[in-house]
Amino acid sequence: MLTLMAQPAVQAVNIDAISGKLLSAHVVECFDWIQVGNFTAGFTYWFDPLTILMLCVVTGVGTLVVIYAAGYMKGDPGYARFFAYVSLFIFAMTTLVMADNLVLLYLGWEGVGLCSYLLIGYYYKKPTAVAAAKKAFIVNRIGDLGFALGIFLTYYHFDTVRFGELLPLWNALLAGGGTEEWSIQLIPYLLMLGAFGKSAQLPLYVWLPDAMEGPTPVSALIHAATMVTAGVYMIVRLLPIFTLSPYALPTVATVGALTALFAATIALCQYDLKKVFAYSTISQLGYMFLGVGAVSIAADSGGISGGASGEGAVGGVFHLFTHAFFKALLFLTAGSVMHACAGQLDLRKLSGLRHKMPVTCWLMFVGCLALAGVPFTAGFFSKDTVLAATLAQGMPFTDAAGVQHAGNYWYVILALIGLLTALLTALYTFRLWFRVFLGPVEFTMGDEHHEEEERHGGTEARRHEGAEDGDTHGADDAHGANDAHHEPHEMPWLMNGPLVVLAVGAIVAGYMGGWIESSVAHATAGVAMPPSDVEPAHHTLFGMDLHVAMMVISGIVAGVGIMLASWFHWFDRDSASALAGSWPRTVLILRHKYFVDELYDAIIVRPLRMLGNVFFQVDRLIIDGLVMFIGVVPRWIGLSVRPTQRGVLQGYGLGMVTGVAAIAILVWLALT
Amino acid sequence: MTGEMADKVAGLAPEMVMLTGACACLLIGLSRSVAARRATPWLAGLTLAVAGMFVLIDYGASRAAEADVVTGVEAGPINALAMYVKGAAIVIGLLLLLVAATTPDALRATRDTEGHGKRFDPSLSVRGEFYAFFLFSLTGVMLVGAAEDLAWLFLAIELTSLPTYVMIAISRDKLQAHESAVKYFFLGAMAAAMFLFGFTLLYGATGTTRLFGPTMGDGVTSIQQYLIDVSAGGGSAPLLFTAGMVLSIIGLAFKIAAVPMHFYAADVYEGAATPVTAFLAFVPKAAGFVALVLLLAPVTVLKTGDPAVEALTWTLWIIAALTMTVGNVLGLLQNSVKRMLAYSSIAHSGYMVVALVAFAGPTGEGTESMASAFGAVLFYLVAYGLGNLGAFAVLACLQRRGEDAQTFDDLAGLVKRAPGLAAIMLISVLSLIGLPPTVGFLGKVYMSSAAIDAGCVGLVVIALLNSAISAVYYLRLASVCFFREPTGDVTPTPDAARRSGAAIAAAAAVALGVVGGPLVTISGDVAAERAVAPRSTSQPNLVKPDDVDDAPPDAPDDTKTVDVNGEAQPVSNPVGDAGVDQLP
Repeated sequence: MLTLMAQPAVQAVNIDAISGKLLSAHVVECFDWIQVGNFTAGFTYWFDPLTILMLCVVTGVGTLVVIYAAGYMKGDPGYARFFAYVSLFIFAMTTLVMADNLVLLYLGWEGVGLCSYLLIGYYYKKPTAVAAAKKAFIVNRIGDLGFALGIFLTYYHFDTVRFGELLPLWNALLAGGGTEEWSIQLIPYLLMLGAFGKSAQLPLYVWLPDAMEGPTPVSALIHAATMVTAGVYMIVRLLPIFTLSPYALPTVATVGALTALFAATIALCQYDLKKVFAYSTISQLGYMFLGVGAVSIAADSGGISGGASGEGAVGGVFHLFTHAFFKALLFLTAGSVMHACAGQLDLRKLSGLRHKMPVTCWLMFVGCLALAGVPFTAGFFSKDTVLAATLAQGMPFTDAAGVQHAGNYWYVILALIGLLTALLTALYTFRLWFRVFLGPVEFTMGDEHHEEEERHGGTEARRHEGAEDGDTHGADDAHGANDAHHEPHEMPWLMNGPLVVLAVGAIVAGYMGGWIESSVAHATAGVAMPPSDVEPAHHTLFGMDLHVAMMVISGIVAGVGIMLASWFHWFDRDSASALAGSWPRTVLILRHKYFVDELYDAIIVRPLRMLGNVFFQVDRLIIDGLVMFIGVVPRWIGLSVRPTQRGVLQGYGLGMVTGVAAIAILVWLALT
Repeated sequence: MTGEMADKVAGLAPEMVMLTGACACLLIGLSRSVAARRATPWLAGLTLAVAGMFVLIDYGASRAAEADVVTGVEAGPINALAMYVKGAAIVIGLLLLLVAATTPDALRATRDTEGHGKRFDPSLSVRGEFYAFFLFSLTGVMLVGAAEDLAWLFLAIELTSLPTYVMIAISRDKLQAHESAVKYFFLGAMAAAMFLFGFTLLYGATGTTRLFGPTMGDGVTSIQQYLIDVSAGGGSAPLLFTAGMVLSIIGLAFKIAAVPMHFYAADVYEGAATPVTAFLAFVPKAAGFVALVLLLAPVTVLKTGDPAVEALTWTLWIIAALTMTVGNVLGLLQNSVKRMLAYSSIAHSGYMVVALVAFAGPTGEGTESMASAFGAVLFYLVAYGLGNLGAFAVLACLQRRGEDAQTFDDLAGLVKRAPGLAAIMLISVLSLIGLPPTVGFLGKVYMSSAAIDAGCVGLVVIALLNSAISAVYYLRLASVCFFREPTGDVTPTPDAARRSGAAIAAAAAVALGVVGGPLVTISGDVAAERAVAPRSTSQPNLVKPDDVDDAPPDAPDDTKTVDVNGEAQPVSNPVGDAGVDQLP
């Protein structure tokens, strides 16, 4: 409950800051943290519109999720622990977005990682949860290693870690024609690695699907809305350094696009509700990276080339913003379903729930519309901004001087991948929604029970034996009289209330593009935005403005996706099975997530484990032996010296005099 | 001379207060009223507090004088090192008093004379003596800090030590305590003879017992000035001087329990009541180290490569290496926690001597290295004092059949009996190992960096290896407290004073570990003032601040001297930066 009280306070601070019309970066120094030589890293906060935007997302969505969780976690024995972790997370995340230097940002970065670990492993008695927590932590370590190295290199080259000093330095370097120094050019790639780890991009995405072992509000808050977007935030915040290497941003865009497609295909064939959303999160994060990567800088022309704009970054952040709303909404509604059906998340075992839980049904519908990018929802606008910016990168343009430039056709391919992903997104999103809420009313309850229900239901906590074999309810007669407690039920308004707010956000957030554009423009000033005297290039496609064209295209794509989904998963579910049956191998690969986990296991985990065994033996035989040796030798020495400590006064006196004589002789010898 | 005396006495106001308080304790301890006798620890605390106030007043005066420098008004003699030592002695003294406050209550003599209907027998009562000697000993440390003369130094050191002999003897009813006291006394007398012999050799070599300052009007020179003259004349310090210094250092090694004068430590520490052991492990040690700093400070004016510097460096090097190793190695073997802590305190003396070795660093390059060497010692003293105090206080808080806990077994499962005490023990142990975020870590960092700056890498390697060895027995202590099942009939004492003393020490160890920066700065500044050549302001014949910039009139006008004076400039400002009020 304290958390609940703390959230509005944070909000109030934000609103203060916004109403103060904070147009330029504002630095608030709290206290010195690390001060060694000329290295300074303080608890110093950096407020600019981008920070405010991120704070709004973190604390806004955070507040709603916490209110929801107050209902969701009710009766859980670890109630207090849960909110302690969540509060710690909010602290770490706000530190991350408010940090004015890389080290403080890293503190927040590791802080959210820690909270993520703690919350994934929240049900610490479940071995899968513990394994998932470890996996998340370890995979993130790989990324964070890159991030840390990036910070070290940054300090090495620029002698500071403060944004207020770094950004002008980088911009100046950029304006001066960039740099040839390879170790400066390496920095963005290292930072990128950190971002890919935290934001679950190829090849470090594997932890996020498993992270769904945590309580659902955690999945919504940390693994969908806020923490995983930290990588996007970091790249936007440090955009100038990414423009110092010509291939850094294209790499970001490419990884983003590939991840988007890759994760979307996996999401198609998953049966676990939360897993689908997890892969969808990975996929949407891919969009964000695609957007951020679609900022181009022509270093040779001393800054901005005519066709480049920060639009991609705007798109990325815009999508981050809208995604926070609709993905949190989706996760929380999925949580409601899970809560109502006693932990059941299998798509095959849930069907036709719309009458059982109508509010949840329509709330999730709104979320699905936004995720699928149906016109005039939030996701539609932000996704469109990303795709249009990407395509604009790929199109030829004429700069202010009238010089014709060819576009970078690679970005056209990326935009097409993005469009294909949009189709898949609509397909898997509505596959889920149609399956769960429409169609015949059939469901199997899961085997998890909330304590409150147990108190009412007596012995019903018994494992449900029929859960494995059929998709129909009632196969298990033992259910009998307890069935009344096993009906899915609508959630209380404590939980649905925040969802309504999120649902409104999932629509309205799409109309806040202007605010986001100005925020990002400010944060990336001097890098991506064209100087005011240069007219941004105006692209057309099919005779329409690029944006309009993109809106039309993506609207059509979303529609097609939804229609496909409705056919296969609502009207004629058998045809979906038939289709799957005709491509058994593809389905198998997708269902097993391209066997990436198995691949990593075979090429990384097992060899490492073998190496670990080798080292263990070395450690046991050689190092331990050495340690034993080191431990034993002082003992021998001690035992040999011990007789001098017999407690006899005369002996001590003699010892002292002998010692004096010995030292005198030693000194004499040393001097001569 | 009278004005000079008056100035000196004025600077000793805190010591005067302490002596008065000690005498009052003696008197009240003989009162017929039990309540009055019971008031003695309060009186001792009050004395310490008043003395602390006087130190603060001195400090305030020094700040005022600092302000006066600008206006050219004559400034009084300020001794930053003395203020630092006084401040530290009083603050840690207060903590020690908290821990020791109830020690006489447990004695048979007290119980016999204070129960119902018992007649008071003055010859049996030890209350007054205990606190009086407590205060006398602390006064000794404070006087050591203010010493500027060998004779004063000797008397101050003995004033520190002599009361402790009595304190050990009366602290417990067991014969073991008497045995310890007698051992300590005899060996201490032998050590005193040794460094007094060293002092006489120094006097013989230099013709003066004064430590610092230029030659005065009446022709009395100082050891520092003597060495400046020798060095300026192109010569090197005579062998007699070197011999005197080596003997003095080895003699003082007894006070700090360093090899080869360490033999007494384990027996004496074990024999005394635990609160007194805590006292022994800090107070005489502080006196010894401050005395060593004062003795070595004049030597820093000699050039690197001077045989005297070489000899002293080697002496200290050998003592440091042996002390650390012997302390830790024997610490490994102990079953008694008290003995183990005794050996660990030997090892800590070794670490501090490592910092001292750094005094003879690149002297030609200025005073920074010696300042940081001495500063590291002064800081480490506080760091070690807190960690050690916490550990001993936890032991003192545990009783086994009316006796303080002694063995590892007594501490088993402490976390279940008294989680607070277990936490304090853990913090203290971490601080003694030197792990962040405790003050012990800062102390070790400071010590190592001073030694590395001076080029003593080998010694630092030995110190770190020793730290690793010490982790074995320290962590054993922590693991016994946390992971073993409670055994035996050990009970935590209800003594709130002891507990709060332990808690404050642990809290301070953590707090200073996190925000110890100011104390590091202060100890460095304080040491810098002593490490540099002529401190005109400490002279009885006050030099006006305007003269400070010039070389002293009779100093030979040689580059070395000017160099030293140039270095001295910022600190020869009549006011040290001692921030006594910022002490823990």
